[in-house]
Amino acid sequence: MRRTQAETKLQTTFKLARFYDIQWYVIEKIFNGERVLLIEKTGFGKSLCYQFPATQFSGTTVIFSPLIALMRDQVNKLQELGINAKCINSNQTSEENEQIIEEAKNNRIKILYIAPERMENAEWLQATQTMNLSMVVVDEAHCISVWGHDFRPAFRRIISLVNLLPQDFPVLATTATATKRVEEDIKKQIGKNISSYRGNLIRSNLRLWVVHVNSEDEKMIWLGKNLSKIPGSGIIYTGTRVNTQIYSNWFEYLKINSTFYHGGLDATTRQRVEKGLINNHYKCVVSTNALGMGIDKPDIRFIIHTQIPVSPIHYYQEIGRAGRDGQPSNIILFYNKKDDNALPLTFINGGRPSIGKYQKVINVLKLQRLGRNGVVKETDIKQTQVNVILSDLIEQGIVNKVSKYYEYKFDAPKLNTKPFEALRTAKQADFAKMVEYTETKSCRMKFLCDFLGDDFPTLCKVCDNDRGKRLGVSVSEAWKKKLTAFRESDFPDLEVESKTSNIVNGVAASYYGVSNVGQALYNSKYQNGGDFPNWLLKLTLKAFRKHYGKEKFDVVLYIPPTESGNLVKNFAQKIAKVLKFPISDGLKKTRVTAAQKIFQTGLLKRDNVKNAFTYEDTNDLVGKSVLLIDDIYDSGATIKEVGRCLTKLGAIKIAPLIIAKTVGGDI
Amino acid sequence: MSKLQLTETPYWITIAHLPKWRTEQKNRLIVKIFHEKKSNLEEFFSLTQSEWKKDFGLSDSQSHSLEKARAEIPNNSFYAEDLISQGFEIIPINSKKFSNTLKRNLKVKYTPPVIYAKGNKQLLLEDSIAIVGSRKASKISLEFTDNIAKKASKEYKVVVSGFAKGIDRQALDSALKYGGQSIIVLPQGITTFKSGFKKYYKEIVQGNLLILSTFHPKAKWSVGLAMARNPIIYGLANEIYVAESSEKGGTWEGVQDGLKKGRTIYVRYPNPKEKNANLVLIQKGAIGVDFNGNKGINGSCLTLEEANQSASVLTKKEAKLDNNNLFDLLKENALSSKEIIKQLQLDWPTRKMTFYLKKLENVEVLKSKPLKFKLRT
Repeated sequence: MRRTQAETKLQTTFKLARFYDIQWYVIEKIFNGERVLLIEKTGFGKSLCYQFPATQFSGTTVIFSPLIALMRDQVNKLQELGINAKCINSNQTSEENEQIIEEAKNNRIKILYIAPERMENAEWLQATQTMNLSMVVVDEAHCISVWGHDFRPAFRRIISLVNLLPQDFPVLATTATATKRVEEDIKKQIGKNISSYRGNLIRSNLRLWVVHVNSEDEKMIWLGKNLSKIPGSGIIYTGTRVNTQIYSNWFEYLKINSTFYHGGLDATTRQRVEKGLINNHYKCVVSTNALGMGIDKPDIRFIIHTQIPVSPIHYYQEIGRAGRDGQPSNIILFYNKKDDNALPLTFINGGRPSIGKYQKVINVLKLQRLGRNGVVKETDIKQTQVNVILSDLIEQGIVNKVSKYYEYKFDAPKLNTKPFEALRTAKQADFAKMVEYTETKSCRMKFLCDFLGDDFPTLCKVCDNDRGKRLGVSVSEAWKKKLTAFRESDFPDLEVESKTSNIVNGVAASYYGVSNVGQALYNSKYQNGGDFPNWLLKLTLKAFRKHYGKEKFDVVLYIPPTESGNLVKNFAQKIAKVLKFPISDGLKKTRVTAAQKIFQTGLLKRDNVKNAFTYEDTNDLVGKSVLLIDDIYDSGATIKEVGRCLTKLGAIKIAPLIIAKTVGGDI
Repeated sequence: MSKLQLTETPYWITIAHLPKWRTEQKNRLIVKIFHEKKSNLEEFFSLTQSEWKKDFGLSDSQSHSLEKARAEIPNNSFYAEDLISQGFEIIPINSKKFSNTLKRNLKVKYTPPVIYAKGNKQLLLEDSIAIVGSRKASKISLEFTDNIAKKASKEYKVVVSGFAKGIDRQALDSALKYGGQSIIVLPQGITTFKSGFKKYYKEIVQGNLLILSTFHPKAKWSVGLAMARNPIIYGLANEIYVAESSEKGGTWEGVQDGLKKGRTIYVRYPNPKEKNANLVLIQKGAIGVDFNGNKGINGSCLTLEEANQSASVLTKKEAKLDNNNLFDLLKENALSSKEIIKQLQLDWPTRKMTFYLKKLENVEVLKSKPLKFKLRT
């Protein structure tokens, strides 16, 4: 097809006058049955490069995309143009998906968006046997490279697939973020004479700032003072889930409209927050990096990081979500060189489980095939780590995944740890670059583009360095007091409610590991420091008042100890005395349990305490409300188990009150 | 598998299951592509229909069906990816890993172009024996099987069997029990053997077992496939032992087929009162062996003459055809090959009879399904 011919068709189908030269360059190659990698920034018009050819092919074009929200938007736009586009993803009901698969089988769909995870779905694989396939597109292709910022194991099967597709079958890979190294890696993996085109990645409307601080308090105070003055609405990225809540509570305390977001929230809440963000219901959403990819909001006016990301490519990707409309947007990075390297370095150096754990997984799989939870139980290795290990073992051809089971492969190669080391070294180097970004005295946008391998000869002229205007922090006594007052009124919720138990969501007096509470508990428990100090009692009572108000309870119970003597008992007695509730020592263990902290996984923690509790007078609790006291809340397994036990004994309400909630498991 | 071979997998699946192509035709095409033209499947499938006809001497209908198959290669790419990710291996006939024993025994005519397998595929290259027999086997036959499997395992020979009840299962279990190695030849597509892979997981992981199939991976078990599987068992083995056969069914047919192909087949001498067709097979050319698999005839066994005698009591069938009887039969009625074989009590395969009749000038072929034959008047 000639370009003029194609552009005539473009006008009728897409209502667009003409292609950019780059678009036509790619489209011609696709018509030629070639493989292409296209690296272009967000908003360039990458999708037209496959959508147009797709409308000209006789069969179906399949687009693998990891972002459900983006899929949905694209499908809506195509349908408005009268093009039969559909998507298959986990947010739709299985009936909807089956219906679409049926349509695809009958060759009625032109453009089909699908999540990479679907390659493990039997119905989909069945459908691929009868569909008339014209082209395969790998969207967000950086996800196939471990050198990129968002490697996803689900893409592995797509690579195996494109390697098996015929030489003359068109394949297009697209991404907005790829370093030279990632580009080469993608080309190598997709293979078969793939060519690539790299566009210009500069985003000249993003105003980059770096604010050097000396503490978390300085970040909070700076934001407290200045957030309202920054135009528009935006996103604040923190390093941990618990910090999203703390920052959001702080803004709430200051009457700034905000909310928090992370991958641990349920789907309904996440969707509500996403919608609220798009409709400017909040000044800001405080989030982990789980938010943003695939949110189609053109006017995000600021993106602020309270925690330095692990590499410039992560940073470029995350700030790229701002200002898609081309209007000026403020990009601020806080950096405390004393404390802020710890978290990224933990991710980089502890990103992979130890070799011993890999061997443990291999050994159990040599004896029996197991599902993921089976591996977790047999090895007592955390689920997140088991996921990493299994993914690596599949990658190295040591293990196969057969439906939901993992099988060790006969004659499998030995575990090769060299790639892990190489990757760690590369990540350390990337992080050093990120730190360099905070210190650079020249154009910050040029620094990022150079890192990405972009040929960018000029300056952005809008970053703090180019304009010679820098941001700093000054802390007044008044703000210090405000922050302290906030800290003493910010009590973490404990979400433990379930349908089968009368336990209600409770409260803790603080976070373990964020404040001095953790140290105080540690002193009493392990350093013979005596009873928990009185200020802890005061703080806990304050938490009680804030969460439960003036509510009365029939009895105070406490969790019988595993190893730390009468500390909790004495503490519970003091609480009961102040609140004037009766206390009982009746909650007992039926057997000796191990300390919960020695178990790595929630599954085993649950098993450790299962049916481990009883109450001495089995009729005593019928119809009563219970205030349940313990010192530390981690996985919640113990509290939930006691809740179940007391529910069985007739208690009508079990309300937990805890001194500190750990944050470790919550990162 | 080398990377090139791996990327050719979708093409192999396509060739292996070309509809309406006989195995021999597929193999001849493969030979032509790889040996005569020094080419490969990817190149072959990039040619036009007229090039296929010109360079490969393919007929219109053959190139037409290949054209249809070509359109399905992307679909087979998806399918190959799925199979590989589940740990199945697709071993094409031109691979070094393919069993030479199978090629030697089945020749270009019957060797399957592709083997689907999971487990230790090195076993395909080892010295091997097959032990086969009835699904409902007597105690003595099962003991014989156990004994032969034990001996084979001691001699590091791989025991090939078909995973049927009775003798097959005994052969497998005994081989594994004595620390030997075994190949299961499935009467179904390899992806439909789910519970089997679960049951024999450990043996597969330890490299003592290879499970294979030559049918389309999704094919369900059927009598037809079970029958078609038998020649593969025989073909994979250097020696064939029959523990027990009745006068019909898979073992019976399998041995006939083996003998016809000129294979040496060892059949256990039955004790005088056993009711089975072992002696008949010995009479037909199989070699009788004792409980230990030895050819020598000892006191506990019948002499060859005795075997022949009692065998002739058991069967009245004749191997030789008298044309006069045939013409008499066809004077009155039009009959199918199968009916003729039955009426004349012959021991011929139907196809042989059809072929024979077609060559006779005074016999007329009537177009029906199945074909019927009548004497010309």
